[in-house]
Amino acid sequence: MLRTLDFRRAALLCAAGLAVALASGCKEKSKQPEANPTNAVFDDFAKRVDAYVKLRKPLTDSIGDLDPTKSQAEITTRATSLANAIIAARAQAKPGDIFTPEIATVLATLIKQEYSRRSEPVQETREDQQDELPDFVPHVNQVYPTTYPLATFPATLLPLLPPLPDALEYRVVQHYLVLRDVEANVIIDFMPNAIPTGGPA
Amino acid sequence: MISLTRLYAATALATLGAATLPAQQVTLPLKNGSVRFLVLGDAGTGDREQFEVANQMVRYAQRFPFTFAIMLGDNLYGSERPQDFDKKFMRPYKALLDGGIEFNAALGNHDDPNQRYFKPFHLDGQRYRTFKKGNVRFFVIDSNYLDPEQLKWLEKELSQSGSDWKIPYFHHPLYTTARRGPEVEVRAVLEPLFVKYGVDVVFVGHEHIYERLQPQKGIYYFTVGGAAKLRKGDTHPSPLIAARFDRDRSFLLAEIAGDSLYFETVSRTGAVVDKGVLGRREVRK
Repeated sequence: MLRTLDFRRAALLCAAGLAVALASGCKEKSKQPEANPTNAVFDDFAKRVDAYVKLRKPLTDSIGDLDPTKSQAEITTRATSLANAIIAARAQAKPGDIFTPEIATVLATLIKQEYSRRSEPVQETREDQQDELPDFVPHVNQVYPTTYPLATFPATLLPLLPPLPDALEYRVVQHYLVLRDVEANVIIDFMPNAIPTGGPA
Repeated sequence: MISLTRLYAATALATLGAATLPAQQVTLPLKNGSVRFLVLGDAGTGDREQFEVANQMVRYAQRFPFTFAIMLGDNLYGSERPQDFDKKFMRPYKALLDGGIEFNAALGNHDDPNQRYFKPFHLDGQRYRTFKKGNVRFFVIDSNYLDPEQLKWLEKELSQSGSDWKIPYFHHPLYTTARRGPEVEVRAVLEPLFVKYGVDVVFVGHEHIYERLQPQKGIYYFTVGGAAKLRKGDTHPSPLIAARFDRDRSFLLAEIAGDSLYFETVSRTGAVVDKGVLGRREVRK
Protein backbone atom coordinates (compact mmCIF):
# COMPACT_ATOMS: atom_id res chain seq x y z
CA MET A 1 0.00 0.00 0.00
CA LEU A 2 2.78 2.44 0.87
CA ARG A 3 4.46 1.74 -2.42
CA THR A 4 1.26 2.62 -4.21
CA LEU A 5 1.05 5.86 -2.32
CA ASP A 6 4.68 6.64 -3.10
CA PHE A 7 3.96 6.05 -6.75
CA ARG A 8 0.91 8.28 -6.61
CA ARG A 9 2.91 10.94 -4.87
CA ALA A 10 5.65 10.71 -7.47
CA ALA A 11 3.13 11.02 -10.27
CA LEU A 12 1.50 13.99 -8.64
CA LEU A 13 4.86 15.59 -7.98
CA CYS A 14 5.79 15.28 -11.65
CA ALA A 15 2.70 17.27 -12.48
CA ALA A 16 3.49 19.70 -9.69
CA GLY A 17 7.01 20.03 -11.09
CA LEU A 18 5.56 21.15 -14.36
CA ALA A 19 3.54 23.74 -12.49
CA VAL A 20 6.69 25.02 -10.79
CA ALA A 21 8.55 25.18 -14.05
CA LEU A 22 5.75 27.20 -15.57
CA ALA A 23 5.45 29.38 -12.50
CA SER A 24 9.18 30.09 -12.40
CA GLY A 25 8.91 31.89 -15.69
CA CYS A 26 9.50 31.48 -19.39
CA LYS A 27 12.79 33.39 -19.27
CA GLU A 28 14.46 30.15 -18.18
CA LYS A 29 12.86 28.32 -21.07
CA SER A 30 15.97 27.98 -23.19
CA LYS A 31 18.04 26.49 -20.35
CA GLN A 32 18.09 22.76 -19.73
CA PRO A 33 17.18 22.38 -16.07
CA GLU A 34 19.83 20.38 -14.25
CA ALA A 35 17.53 19.24 -11.46
CA ASN A 36 13.84 18.80 -10.89
CA PRO A 37 12.68 22.29 -9.84
CA THR A 38 10.15 20.70 -7.50
CA ASN A 39 12.92 19.22 -5.38
CA ALA A 40 14.42 22.64 -4.82
CA VAL A 41 11.03 23.97 -3.78
CA PHE A 42 10.51 21.10 -1.33
CA ASP A 43 14.03 21.57 0.03
CA ASP A 44 13.33 25.23 0.60
CA PHE A 45 10.09 24.38 2.39
CA ALA A 46 11.93 21.87 4.59
CA LYS A 47 14.54 24.52 5.44
CA ARG A 48 11.85 26.97 6.46
CA VAL A 49 10.18 24.35 8.63
CA ASP A 50 13.57 23.54 10.17
CA ALA A 51 14.15 27.21 10.87
CA TYR A 52 10.83 27.32 12.71
CA VAL A 53 11.76 24.28 14.77
CA LYS A 54 15.11 25.89 15.65
CA LEU A 55 13.39 29.09 16.71
CA ARG A 56 10.98 27.09 18.82
CA LYS A 57 13.57 24.94 20.58
CA PRO A 58 14.90 27.49 23.12
CA LEU A 59 11.32 28.52 23.86
CA THR A 60 10.27 24.98 24.75
CA ASP A 61 13.53 24.53 26.65
CA SER A 62 12.81 27.54 28.83
CA ILE A 63 9.16 26.62 29.39
CA GLY A 64 9.93 22.95 29.90
CA ASP A 65 8.44 19.77 28.48
CA LEU A 66 5.06 18.69 29.64
CA ASP A 67 4.72 15.29 31.19
CA PRO A 68 1.27 13.76 31.58
CA THR A 69 -0.39 15.52 34.48
CA LYS A 70 -3.61 15.44 36.43
CA SER A 71 -3.62 19.22 36.44
CA GLN A 72 -5.69 20.61 33.61
CA ALA A 73 -4.41 24.05 34.56
CA GLU A 74 -0.84 22.93 33.97
CA ILE A 75 -1.71 21.84 30.43
CA THR A 76 -3.47 25.10 29.67
CA THR A 77 -0.77 27.24 31.24
CA ARG A 78 2.00 25.56 29.30
CA ALA A 79 0.10 25.82 25.99
CA THR A 80 -0.58 29.50 26.63
CA SER A 81 3.02 30.23 27.68
CA LEU A 82 4.37 28.47 24.62
CA ALA A 83 1.89 30.25 22.36
CA ASN A 84 2.82 33.65 23.80
CA ALA A 85 6.54 32.93 23.43
CA ILE A 86 6.15 31.78 19.83
CA ILE A 87 3.99 34.75 18.91
CA ALA A 88 6.52 37.14 20.49
CA ALA A 89 9.46 35.45 18.77
CA ARG A 90 7.67 35.60 15.42
CA ALA A 91 6.14 39.02 15.79
CA GLN A 92 7.25 39.94 12.27
CA ALA A 93 6.00 36.72 10.69
CA LYS A 94 3.68 37.13 7.75
CA PRO A 95 1.64 34.87 5.47
CA GLY A 96 3.84 33.06 2.99
CA ASP A 97 6.95 32.95 5.16
CA ILE A 98 6.79 29.16 5.17
CA PHE A 99 4.19 28.50 2.49
CA THR A 100 6.14 30.57 -0.05
CA PRO A 101 4.46 31.25 -3.40
CA GLU A 102 6.63 28.51 -4.93
CA ILE A 103 5.64 25.74 -2.51
CA ALA A 104 2.06 27.03 -2.53
CA THR A 105 1.94 26.55 -6.30
CA VAL A 106 3.26 23.01 -5.98
CA LEU A 107 0.95 22.05 -3.14
CA ALA A 108 -2.12 23.61 -4.71
CA THR A 109 -1.49 21.67 -7.92
CA LEU A 110 -0.87 18.47 -6.00
CA ILE A 111 -3.99 18.87 -3.87
CA LYS A 112 -6.22 19.78 -6.79
CA GLN A 113 -5.03 16.78 -8.75
CA GLU A 114 -5.55 14.52 -5.79
CA TYR A 115 -9.08 15.87 -5.39
CA SER A 116 -9.88 15.38 -9.04
CA ARG A 117 -8.95 11.71 -8.74
CA ARG A 118 -11.14 11.07 -5.72
CA SER A 119 -13.65 8.31 -6.08
CA GLU A 120 -17.29 9.27 -5.88
CA PRO A 121 -17.79 7.93 -2.32
CA VAL A 122 -14.80 9.94 -1.11
CA GLN A 123 -16.09 13.08 -2.80
CA GLU A 124 -19.45 12.51 -1.17
CA THR A 125 -17.86 12.02 2.25
CA ARG A 126 -15.95 15.26 1.92
CA GLU A 127 -19.02 17.14 0.76
CA ASP A 128 -21.16 15.70 3.55
CA GLN A 129 -18.69 16.95 6.09
CA GLN A 130 -18.56 20.55 4.97
CA ASP A 131 -20.51 21.45 8.08
CA GLU A 132 -17.57 20.36 10.22
CA LEU A 133 -15.12 22.75 8.62
CA PRO A 134 -14.14 25.54 10.98
CA ASP A 135 -15.70 28.78 9.83
CA PHE A 136 -13.07 31.39 10.53
CA VAL A 137 -10.40 33.20 8.57
CA PRO A 138 -6.95 32.13 9.79
CA HIS A 139 -4.15 34.59 10.57
CA VAL A 140 -0.48 34.08 11.21
CA ASN A 141 0.21 34.00 14.96
CA GLN A 142 -3.45 33.41 15.72
CA VAL A 143 -4.30 30.99 18.49
CA TYR A 144 -6.55 28.41 16.86
CA PRO A 145 -9.95 29.07 18.42
CA THR A 146 -10.60 26.18 20.76
CA THR A 147 -14.33 26.44 20.27
CA TYR A 148 -13.89 25.19 16.70
CA PRO A 149 -13.21 21.53 15.95
CA LEU A 150 -9.99 20.53 14.27
CA ALA A 151 -11.35 19.22 11.00
CA THR A 152 -10.31 15.69 10.23
CA PHE A 153 -7.49 15.79 7.73
CA PRO A 154 -8.19 13.77 4.55
CA ALA A 155 -6.39 10.54 5.28
CA THR A 156 -5.36 9.79 1.71
CA LEU A 157 -4.06 13.30 1.07
CA LEU A 158 -1.78 13.47 4.08
CA PRO A 159 0.89 11.05 2.79
CA LEU A 160 1.26 13.14 -0.35
CA LEU A 161 2.24 16.31 1.51
CA PRO A 162 5.79 17.05 2.69
CA PRO A 163 6.38 15.44 6.07
CA LEU A 164 6.42 17.68 9.13
CA PRO A 165 8.19 17.43 12.48
CA ASP A 166 6.12 16.40 15.50
CA ALA A 167 5.70 20.03 16.53
CA LEU A 168 3.69 20.90 13.43
CA GLU A 169 0.67 19.60 11.59
CA TYR A 170 -1.45 20.46 8.58
CA ARG A 171 -5.07 21.40 9.10
CA VAL A 172 -7.89 22.59 6.89
CA VAL A 173 -9.90 25.71 7.66
CA GLN A 174 -12.43 26.47 4.93
CA HIS A 175 -10.33 26.60 1.74
CA TYR A 176 -7.10 27.27 3.62
CA LEU A 177 -4.34 24.79 4.28
CA VAL A 178 -3.07 25.73 7.71
CA LEU A 179 0.23 24.98 9.40
CA ARG A 180 -0.42 24.64 13.10
CA ASP A 181 1.90 24.30 16.07
CA VAL A 182 0.36 21.32 17.84
CA GLU A 183 1.29 22.04 21.45
CA ALA A 184 1.02 25.81 21.32
CA ASN A 185 -2.15 25.69 19.22
CA VAL A 186 -0.87 28.59 17.12
CA ILE A 187 -1.33 29.08 13.38
CA ILE A 188 2.18 29.42 11.97
CA ASP A 189 1.25 29.99 8.34
CA PHE A 190 -1.61 29.35 5.96
CA MET A 191 -2.23 28.99 2.28
CA PRO A 192 -5.45 30.33 0.77
CA ASN A 193 -7.34 28.55 -1.99
CA ALA A 194 -5.45 25.36 -1.29
CA ILE A 195 -8.50 23.18 -0.85
CA PRO A 196 -10.90 22.92 -3.78
CA THR A 197 -14.46 24.02 -3.12
CA GLY A 198 -16.48 21.03 -2.09
CA GLY A 199 -13.64 19.40 -0.11
CA PRO A 200 -12.62 18.00 2.55
CA ALA A 201 -13.73 16.63 5.91
CA MET B 1 -3.15 -8.61 40.05
CA ILE B 2 -6.04 -7.98 37.71
CA SER B 3 -8.40 -9.65 40.11
CA LEU B 4 -7.30 -7.40 42.93
CA THR B 5 -7.86 -4.34 40.79
CA ARG B 6 -11.30 -5.57 39.90
CA LEU B 7 -12.12 -6.27 43.48
CA TYR B 8 -11.03 -2.78 44.43
CA ALA B 9 -13.06 -1.21 41.66
CA ALA B 10 -16.15 -3.19 42.50
CA THR B 11 -15.89 -2.47 46.20
CA ALA B 12 -15.25 1.19 45.68
CA LEU B 13 -18.16 1.55 43.29
CA ALA B 14 -20.48 -0.20 45.65
CA THR B 15 -19.61 2.21 48.40
CA LEU B 16 -19.42 5.45 46.42
CA GLY B 17 -21.69 7.12 43.91
CA ALA B 18 -23.94 4.14 43.49
CA ALA B 19 -25.09 4.10 47.08
CA THR B 20 -28.43 5.72 46.38
CA LEU B 21 -29.13 4.00 43.09
CA PRO B 22 -30.54 0.50 42.67
CA ALA B 23 -28.23 -1.81 40.77
CA GLN B 24 -29.23 -3.04 37.33
CA GLN B 25 -29.60 -6.60 36.15
CA VAL B 26 -27.02 -7.67 33.65
CA THR B 27 -26.90 -10.81 31.60
CA LEU B 28 -23.18 -10.71 30.92
CA PRO B 29 -21.59 -13.93 32.14
CA LEU B 30 -19.06 -12.48 34.64
CA LYS B 31 -16.64 -15.31 34.06
CA ASN B 32 -13.55 -15.69 36.17
CA GLY B 33 -10.54 -13.91 34.70
CA SER B 34 -12.55 -12.19 31.98
CA VAL B 35 -11.68 -8.72 30.65
CA ARG B 36 -14.55 -6.33 31.41
CA PHE B 37 -14.82 -2.81 30.16
CA LEU B 38 -17.07 0.12 29.44
CA VAL B 39 -17.33 1.75 25.99
CA LEU B 40 -18.50 5.34 25.59
CA GLY B 41 -18.21 7.91 22.85
CA ASP B 42 -18.90 11.59 22.23
CA ALA B 43 -19.45 12.19 25.87
CA GLY B 44 -17.91 15.54 26.77
CA THR B 45 -20.80 17.98 26.85
CA GLY B 46 -21.17 18.57 30.57
CA ASP B 47 -24.92 18.54 29.99
CA ARG B 48 -27.58 16.88 32.11
CA GLU B 49 -27.78 13.95 29.71
CA GLN B 50 -24.10 13.15 30.17
CA PHE B 51 -24.66 12.94 33.92
CA GLU B 52 -27.75 10.77 33.45
CA VAL B 53 -25.86 8.33 31.25
CA ALA B 54 -22.97 8.36 33.73
CA ASN B 55 -25.39 7.48 36.53
CA GLN B 56 -26.51 4.43 34.57
CA MET B 57 -22.88 3.41 34.12
CA VAL B 58 -22.46 3.51 37.88
CA ARG B 59 -25.61 1.46 38.44
CA TYR B 60 -24.48 -1.21 36.00
CA ALA B 61 -20.99 -1.21 37.47
CA GLN B 62 -22.40 -2.62 40.69
CA ARG B 63 -23.47 -5.82 39.00
CA PHE B 64 -20.88 -5.79 36.28
CA PRO B 65 -17.61 -4.69 37.85
CA PHE B 66 -15.53 -3.44 34.97
CA THR B 67 -12.06 -2.09 35.59
CA PHE B 68 -11.53 0.27 32.71
CA ALA B 69 -13.31 2.32 30.07
CA ILE B 70 -12.48 3.14 26.49
CA MET B 71 -13.51 6.58 25.23
CA LEU B 72 -14.08 6.95 21.51
CA GLY B 73 -13.29 10.64 21.14
CA ASP B 74 -14.99 14.01 21.48
CA ASN B 75 -14.07 13.80 25.11
CA LEU B 76 -14.55 17.54 25.54
CA TYR B 77 -16.81 19.62 23.31
CA GLY B 78 -16.19 23.33 22.95
CA SER B 79 -13.66 25.13 25.09
CA GLU B 80 -11.02 23.19 27.01
CA ARG B 81 -10.29 25.40 29.97
CA PRO B 82 -9.45 23.71 33.28
CA GLN B 83 -13.06 24.13 34.39
CA ASP B 84 -14.20 22.36 31.22
CA PHE B 85 -12.17 19.26 32.08
CA ASP B 86 -13.93 19.34 35.40
CA LYS B 87 -17.44 19.91 34.10
CA LYS B 88 -17.27 17.59 31.10
CA PHE B 89 -15.22 14.73 32.51
CA MET B 90 -14.21 14.75 36.16
CA ARG B 91 -17.63 15.51 37.61
CA PRO B 92 -19.81 13.29 35.43
CA TYR B 93 -17.54 10.29 36.01
CA LYS B 94 -16.50 11.08 39.57
CA ALA B 95 -17.96 7.90 41.04
CA LEU B 96 -16.27 5.76 38.42
CA LEU B 97 -12.96 7.61 38.78
CA ASP B 98 -13.13 7.37 42.55
CA GLY B 99 -13.84 3.68 42.12
CA GLY B 100 -10.54 3.22 40.31
CA ILE B 101 -11.92 2.90 36.80
CA GLU B 102 -9.19 3.71 34.31
CA PHE B 103 -10.38 5.81 31.36
CA ASN B 104 -8.46 5.27 28.13
CA ALA B 105 -9.34 8.01 25.68
CA ALA B 106 -8.96 8.32 21.93
CA LEU B 107 -9.00 11.77 20.33
CA GLY B 108 -12.00 13.02 18.37
CA ASN B 109 -12.31 15.93 15.98
CA HIS B 110 -13.49 18.16 18.84
CA ASP B 111 -10.49 17.31 21.01
CA ASP B 112 -7.35 19.40 21.34
CA PRO B 113 -4.42 16.99 20.92
CA ASN B 114 -3.02 18.46 24.16
CA GLN B 115 -5.55 16.19 25.90
CA ARG B 116 -2.86 13.55 25.51
CA TYR B 117 -1.14 15.13 28.51
CA PHE B 118 -4.18 14.81 30.73
CA LYS B 119 -3.25 11.88 32.93
CA PRO B 120 -6.78 10.57 33.57
CA PHE B 121 -7.12 9.97 29.79
CA HIS B 122 -4.11 7.61 29.87
CA LEU B 123 -2.75 8.68 26.51
CA ASP B 124 0.71 8.98 28.09
CA GLY B 125 1.52 12.07 26.05
CA GLN B 126 0.84 10.27 22.74
CA ARG B 127 -1.84 10.80 20.09
CA TYR B 128 -1.96 7.06 19.58
CA ARG B 129 -0.91 4.13 21.68
CA THR B 130 -1.55 0.51 22.49
CA PHE B 131 -2.23 -1.29 25.74
CA LYS B 132 -3.02 -4.80 26.83
CA LYS B 133 -5.61 -6.20 29.21
CA GLY B 134 -5.55 -9.96 29.69
CA ASN B 135 -5.68 -11.61 26.28
CA VAL B 136 -6.80 -8.41 24.56
CA ARG B 137 -4.60 -5.85 22.84
CA PHE B 138 -6.22 -2.44 22.33
CA PHE B 139 -4.99 -0.01 19.68
CA VAL B 140 -5.89 3.61 20.34
CA ILE B 141 -5.80 5.38 16.98
CA ASP B 142 -5.98 9.09 16.18
CA SER B 143 -8.26 8.97 13.15
CA ASN B 144 -8.23 12.78 12.85
CA TYR B 145 -4.70 12.81 11.56
CA LEU B 146 -3.56 9.54 10.04
CA ASP B 147 -0.08 10.55 9.00
CA PRO B 148 2.33 7.99 7.53
CA GLU B 149 4.18 7.79 10.83
CA GLN B 150 1.05 6.67 12.67
CA LEU B 151 0.17 4.13 9.99
CA LYS B 152 3.68 2.71 10.14
CA TRP B 153 3.39 2.46 13.91
CA LEU B 154 0.00 0.76 13.65
CA GLU B 155 1.21 -1.81 11.16
CA LYS B 156 4.22 -2.61 13.35
CA GLU B 157 2.10 -2.98 16.49
CA LEU B 158 -0.58 -5.05 14.78
CA SER B 159 1.97 -7.34 13.19
CA GLN B 160 3.83 -7.87 16.45
CA SER B 161 0.82 -8.43 18.66
CA GLY B 162 0.44 -11.96 19.83
CA SER B 163 -2.76 -11.26 21.75
CA ASP B 164 -5.81 -13.40 21.10
CA TRP B 165 -7.98 -10.35 20.54
CA LYS B 166 -6.95 -7.24 18.63
CA ILE B 167 -9.31 -4.32 19.19
CA PRO B 168 -8.63 -0.93 17.63
CA TYR B 169 -10.74 2.01 18.68
CA PHE B 170 -10.90 5.55 17.40
CA HIS B 171 -13.35 8.28 16.50
CA HIS B 172 -14.51 8.00 12.89
CA PRO B 173 -16.74 5.16 11.65
CA LEU B 174 -15.57 3.17 8.66
CA TYR B 175 -19.15 2.05 8.12
CA THR B 176 -22.38 3.66 9.23
CA THR B 177 -25.83 4.52 7.99
CA ALA B 178 -25.90 7.83 9.86
CA ARG B 179 -26.31 11.15 8.11
CA ARG B 180 -22.66 12.08 7.71
CA GLY B 181 -21.86 8.69 6.26
CA PRO B 182 -18.83 6.46 6.57
CA GLU B 183 -15.29 7.84 6.55
CA VAL B 184 -14.26 6.11 3.37
CA GLU B 185 -10.83 7.72 3.33
CA VAL B 186 -10.09 6.54 6.84
CA ARG B 187 -11.41 3.16 5.80
CA ALA B 188 -9.10 3.11 2.78
CA VAL B 189 -6.01 3.33 4.97
CA LEU B 190 -7.09 1.39 8.06
CA GLU B 191 -9.22 -1.48 6.82
CA PRO B 192 -6.45 -3.22 4.83
CA LEU B 193 -4.32 -3.31 7.98
CA PHE B 194 -7.21 -4.59 10.09
CA VAL B 195 -7.91 -7.38 7.63
CA LYS B 196 -4.27 -8.30 7.13
CA TYR B 197 -3.48 -8.56 10.82
CA GLY B 198 -6.61 -10.27 12.07
CA VAL B 199 -8.49 -7.52 13.90
CA ASP B 200 -11.65 -8.90 15.48
CA VAL B 201 -13.69 -5.95 16.66
CA VAL B 202 -13.56 -2.17 16.16
CA PHE B 203 -15.22 0.47 18.32
CA VAL B 204 -15.86 3.99 16.98
CA GLY B 205 -17.92 7.06 17.83
CA HIS B 206 -18.47 10.35 15.94
CA GLU B 207 -22.06 9.56 14.99
CA HIS B 208 -24.33 10.24 17.94
CA ILE B 209 -26.19 6.96 17.78
CA TYR B 210 -25.60 3.27 18.38
CA GLU B 211 -25.02 0.82 15.56
CA ARG B 212 -23.75 -2.72 15.40
CA LEU B 213 -22.82 -3.77 11.94
CA GLN B 214 -22.86 -7.08 10.20
CA PRO B 215 -19.24 -8.24 9.98
CA GLN B 216 -17.39 -6.38 7.23
CA LYS B 217 -14.54 -8.43 5.80
CA GLY B 218 -14.78 -10.53 8.93
CA ILE B 219 -14.60 -7.61 11.36
CA TYR B 220 -17.31 -6.50 13.78
CA TYR B 221 -17.90 -2.76 14.00
CA PHE B 222 -19.70 -0.95 16.79
CA THR B 223 -20.55 2.75 16.68
CA VAL B 224 -21.07 3.94 20.24
CA GLY B 225 -21.26 7.70 19.87
CA GLY B 226 -24.21 8.62 22.02
CA ALA B 227 -22.95 8.88 25.58
CA ALA B 228 -24.13 12.49 25.78
CA LYS B 229 -25.06 13.81 22.36
CA LEU B 230 -27.87 12.29 20.33
CA ARG B 231 -29.02 12.50 16.73
CA LYS B 232 -32.46 11.08 17.04
CA GLY B 233 -33.58 8.97 14.08
CA ASP B 234 -30.19 9.08 12.43
CA THR B 235 -29.64 5.38 11.81
CA HIS B 236 -31.41 3.67 8.95
CA PRO B 237 -32.40 0.15 8.01
CA SER B 238 -29.69 -1.37 5.84
CA PRO B 239 -28.20 -4.75 5.08
CA LEU B 240 -25.12 -3.37 6.85
CA ILE B 241 -26.87 -3.16 10.18
CA ALA B 242 -27.25 -5.94 12.72
CA ALA B 243 -28.70 -3.69 15.42
CA ARG B 244 -29.29 0.03 15.90
CA PHE B 245 -30.57 2.45 18.48
CA ASP B 246 -31.10 6.16 17.97
CA ARG B 247 -33.95 7.11 20.28
CA ASP B 248 -31.79 7.95 23.29
CA ARG B 249 -28.24 8.12 24.56
CA SER B 250 -26.34 4.90 25.15
CA PHE B 251 -23.15 3.16 26.18
CA LEU B 252 -21.84 -0.38 25.93
CA LEU B 253 -20.53 -2.93 28.41
CA ALA B 254 -18.22 -5.66 27.16
CA GLU B 255 -16.77 -8.82 28.61
CA ILE B 256 -14.14 -10.92 26.88
CA ALA B 257 -13.70 -14.44 28.11
CA GLY B 258 -11.55 -16.78 26.06
CA ASP B 259 -12.73 -16.70 22.48
CA SER B 260 -15.99 -14.88 23.17
CA LEU B 261 -16.89 -11.22 23.48
CA TYR B 262 -20.18 -10.63 25.30
CA PHE B 263 -21.79 -7.22 25.15
CA GLU B 264 -24.78 -5.26 26.37
CA THR B 265 -25.74 -1.83 25.13
CA VAL B 266 -27.61 0.29 27.63
CA SER B 267 -29.70 3.42 27.15
CA ARG B 268 -29.79 6.55 29.30
CA THR B 269 -32.86 5.18 31.04
CA GLY B 270 -31.16 1.88 31.84
CA ALA B 271 -32.82 -0.30 29.23
CA VAL B 272 -30.75 -2.92 27.46
CA VAL B 273 -31.14 -2.05 23.78
CA ASP B 274 -28.82 -4.64 22.30
CA LYS B 275 -26.88 -7.62 23.55
CA GLY B 276 -25.09 -10.64 22.21
CA VAL B 277 -21.91 -12.62 21.94
CA LEU B 278 -19.27 -12.60 19.21
CA GLY B 279 -16.60 -15.12 18.41
CA ARG B 280 -13.00 -14.38 17.68
CA ARG B 281 -12.17 -14.29 13.98
CA GLU B 282 -9.67 -17.17 14.12
CA VAL B 283 -12.16 -19.32 15.94
CA ARG B 284 -14.93 -18.42 13.51
CA LYS B 285 -12.76 -19.72 10.67
